[in-house]
Amino acid sequence: MKILIVDDEPLATERLCQIVTEIAEEIDEQHKIYTACNGIEAIKSANRYDPDIILMDIRMPGMDGLEAARHISALDEPAAIVFTTAYDEYALQAFEAQAIDYLLKPIRKESLEKALKNCCKLNKLQLEVLSLKNQKDFARTHITAQIRGNILLIAVENIICFLAEHKYTTVKYTKDESLMERSVQDNPTETALEETIIEETLKSLEQEFSQYFLRVHRNALIRKDKIQSLIKTENTYIVKLKQLHKGIEVSRRHVSDVRKWIKDSGNGKW
Amino acid sequence: MKQSEQKEKNNIPQVSLFLPDFCDLKMIFSVVIIGELLAFILTLAPLNIEQQRWNDLALISLFIQWNGLLGSVGLCFLRRFFIKYNHIKYSNQLVAALSYLILLLIITLISESSFFVIQYYQISIIISSSTHWEFLLHNLLIGGIISALALRYFYIQDQWRIKIQTESQTKLQLLQARIRPHFLFNSMNTIASLTRTNPKVAERVTEDLAELFRMLLKEKHELISWSHELMLSQRYIDIEKQRLGERLSIHWQVETLPDDAMVPALLIQPLLENAIFHGIEAEIKGGTIKVVGELRNNKLLISIQNTNSKNIIHREGNKMALDNIRQRLNVFFQGAASISVKQENDIYTTTLSLPYQKLPYQQVVKG
Repeated sequence: MKILIVDDEPLATERLCQIVTEIAEEIDEQHKIYTACNGIEAIKSANRYDPDIILMDIRMPGMDGLEAARHISALDEPAAIVFTTAYDEYALQAFEAQAIDYLLKPIRKESLEKALKNCCKLNKLQLEVLSLKNQKDFARTHITAQIRGNILLIAVENIICFLAEHKYTTVKYTKDESLMERSVQDNPTETALEETIIEETLKSLEQEFSQYFLRVHRNALIRKDKIQSLIKTENTYIVKLKQLHKGIEVSRRHVSDVRKWIKDSGNGKW
Repeated sequence: MKQSEQKEKNNIPQVSLFLPDFCDLKMIFSVVIIGELLAFILTLAPLNIEQQRWNDLALISLFIQWNGLLGSVGLCFLRRFFIKYNHIKYSNQLVAALSYLILLLIITLISESSFFVIQYYQISIIISSSTHWEFLLHNLLIGGIISALALRYFYIQDQWRIKIQTESQTKLQLLQARIRPHFLFNSMNTIASLTRTNPKVAERVTEDLAELFRMLLKEKHELISWSHELMLSQRYIDIEKQRLGERLSIHWQVETLPDDAMVPALLIQPLLENAIFHGIEAEIKGGTIKVVGELRNNKLLISIQNTNSKNIIHREGNKMALDNIRQRLNVFFQGAASISVKQENDIYTTTLSLPYQKLPYQQVVKG
């Protein structure tokens, strides 16, 4: 059995490791423990080690446990996830309602034993609960795409725009050094844009990320602080974005939104 | 039935019906008793002695019980109706008016039918003298007054219940503003871990926690010396340091503050808690909290600074802590003290300003 323990507090992780080891030794089972200290690390470890069970803390810096669980559960064969928390009134209410596994810290050995025996991967309904909870508090910090059974993480702050084409949505983003194994950045001003396809609709993305992104066209959602200028051509308006050579068409009814944004940010409101 | 009752209870804050449940057995019983008492009063009230009182009592009781029970049924259905369509907001006035109308309607119906029954069987013992309209008017008048009184009573009782509920709610919230459950359980977890690996440190953390909670749980917050407050704050930071490890670093620059200055107990602990919550726990690499204090123009200026990438000035939990401190400052210093917050780029600063008053009589604890 491969177990991944995710917690941002070293003492909490240490204790869990010890208890898991004790349990495994008692039932004489081969086991391997991996640890991670935040949501992003958890996804990386899940990619690398393919654990059977993940013990996931909820509140963590960078990316919280709920979001990490959503991304991980999107895999074809996801690990079973048991949440751990010291106190989280709202999340626990939702967990109770949907029978999502959770353990309260300080975790008892018996309850952990039980959880390890009975846990199973999150079902669709349970995942929805996690996303609802997330939407109420704040938008996701990352978007994920699945590539050959692995999760590709894209930090929302690196995304320049979402473009809808046919049935899919294309994400254009700058490479994130922190997520790459080795940094290959020579010239920071000329970072190459990456793009990938995700299966989310522009409408849901717009709702979730309305704080940072602006809808400019039926098929385009752009990052507000990347807006450089608005150009009028013969019939259409084109918005120019930093780091993107090609302009993006702005539909007539969104022109005023873009103008307002440029004006407000020009006044130093951003 | 059980389930619907459960639902009702959960919905109370939204629906807030002042009508009690008239389908409840206890309620019906009290309606019967009150009806009987009313019958007694009505029988005893007339001053002429010739009448046969027992017969009167029986007939009046019969009449009143019909009214009381059918009225209960009517209100019971009305209440169910309101609960079923609870997405509409009903004003208390509307509920009261409808209930009153239903009661009067029922009284009219029963009066009419009893009048016809009496006429049909020619039992004219009581109402021999009164005409049809006199009889109806008479009943409506008595019924109307009693119903109005009853509704008023239910309304007041309901208001009282709401008041009790909100009072206990606020008390709980106040307590939670002081003791964040988060902190308590996290500390317990820390102690549980340390007990295995480092019993000595576990012991110290337990002592620190006990000392903090002794102060937190005091019903009345009192004034303590700055050195005592500093010591408590350091105890708190020590506990959190165990939990967060290297991510938490704190820089105290408060040497110039006078030890004997009077401050409300646990004035800065909630601010440190906020700083840790937003500035340390939310960051992968952690951060540094800076506490700077100085005495200027006979005023203590204490500022707490933490890095914070997200704007938290308007966050609910943060606001609650600040409001709480503001209130306490007002209680102790009547407007002479203040608290302010500002966010500059990634730096979030809370600044306290309070008059320097020496702590009288009490012992100044050395930090």
